[in-house]
Amino acid sequence: MAEARVPQKSLPKINKVDQAFWEGAANGKFLLQKCKSCAKIQFFPRVACVDCFGELDWIESKGTGKVHTFTLVRVPRNPAFKDETPIYYINVILDEGVIVESRLVGDTKEKVKMGDRVKAVFQETHDPKIKLPCFELA
Amino acid sequence: MRRKKVCFVGYGSTEYSRNSEASALSYYADAIRAALKQTGLNKKEIRGFSITTQASPDYSPHVAEQLGLEVDWVLNGDYGGAGGVMSVRRAADAIECGHIDLAVLVGGNSFDRSTPTQRQLEYQRGNFVDVFGYGGPNSLMALIQRLHMEQYGTTLEQIGKIAIAQRFNAINNPQALFRKAMTMQDYLNSRMISDPVRLFDCVMPCSGAECVLLASEEKAKQITDKPVYLVTDAEISHYQVANMLPDKTTFGQKVVGERIFKEIKHEDIDLLEIYDDYPIAVMIQIEDLGFCKKGDGGKFVDAHDLTYQGDFPVNTGGGELSVGQAGLAGGYLHIVEALRQLRGEADGHQVKKAERALVTGIGWLNYGRNLGTTAALVMERGK
Repeated sequence: MAEARVPQKSLPKINKVDQAFWEGAANGKFLLQKCKSCAKIQFFPRVACVDCFGELDWIESKGTGKVHTFTLVRVPRNPAFKDETPIYYINVILDEGVIVESRLVGDTKEKVKMGDRVKAVFQETHDPKIKLPCFELA
Repeated sequence: MRRKKVCFVGYGSTEYSRNSEASALSYYADAIRAALKQTGLNKKEIRGFSITTQASPDYSPHVAEQLGLEVDWVLNGDYGGAGGVMSVRRAADAIECGHIDLAVLVGGNSFDRSTPTQRQLEYQRGNFVDVFGYGGPNSLMALIQRLHMEQYGTTLEQIGKIAIAQRFNAINNPQALFRKAMTMQDYLNSRMISDPVRLFDCVMPCSGAECVLLASEEKAKQITDKPVYLVTDAEISHYQVANMLPDKTTFGQKVVGERIFKEIKHEDIDLLEIYDDYPIAVMIQIEDLGFCKKGDGGKFVDAHDLTYQGDFPVNTGGGELSVGQAGLAGGYLHIVEALRQLRGEADGHQVKKAERALVTGIGWLNYGRNLGTTAALVMERGK
């Protein structure tokens, strides 16, 4: 029999590909990858440019953008999030031109509409070394 | 590309159960047994085997070993919900090349907790999606549905009509877990899961398995007087992958449709078995495959009767929405239902003119875009 476990809120399992991103987030920076060859900007972190397979640099996003689409999650996949429902799960188009999946937080989130301006905020977690890049209405 | 000499020669299904803890392997065996019984084949004649599942952790050769299959061709059809169609494509290639003349392709699932299941390998989902408390596929499809409604004026009633028609189709399908008629009020009032996705937009996870037998034309003639020919098939994985601002409401089925309908006309399709993890996914595929313009899916649904008695029969046995989703058997359910229809064996939900069917598969919702794998095939009743 599996032992009963109290569900934990998920945290990223940081690896060599995305380590720089999470270090940035811990310092309040939203990092994106930029191709050294073709200058394409991409997210999530990968090992090569999705367009030309070039090598990558990290750049800092302004952390601003607009709501592309959103949903109010009533049934989170991980039950540990149940006490925070509804979770405002969003796709943001950053001003640098990439879609980011994230969560809308803050007191005004109930007013969200498609196209609303948002800015990144970095939420503390139960691991002091990890902050999650969420968004608030700007 | 047009296929020449590959036939579906039989199929097998198990009962679906919401709580069975029988092993996934026993479900695969039951589905294969049913297909062998239907065709009178001896298991030793099967020289090709493909498995599509997340319910058993072993590599495909180990599953073949468990089932006692000595084979010349073995495949792990790990393409998510497109696993059925894409495994058929691989097997058809092997048959055309002459490597094998008969393959059994299986998809299945069970809630057996005594064996571990396959690990999710999608690290970006763990690190960049899970951490925000997302709601699984329900919330990822909800993002797409909201966009479709905003961009094209698609209504909940238009989306609901798909779920309701499929439920009507399931009423006389003994395999379906849900056989009670659904009204528009039932649909609209069903519990919100991840706005705008409601409970009746979602599939019921269950235990079960499906399998199909694919053979060379020559072998098919020895096995059955009801061969069903694979006419044409196509797939694309990671459509728009390099586009950081992808069109979330257009799936890879747009490319697949262009390839399929080079070989056949839309009006030659008598029925459609469209992968239906959600009704909105059915509507988007109808658009992408070119049955109507992008964004006109709602109007198209309004203008047509999608039941098995209608002018545009879709998911004639109820689809995954009414039958249940036995994990990755979901991608096989549509192939098996198409075979029932084309062989005239869909008792109680038989489409009158059923000569050609289009079957689709779509697999996993990915980061920021929509589907990872998209595929379709056309099959035709032998003359």
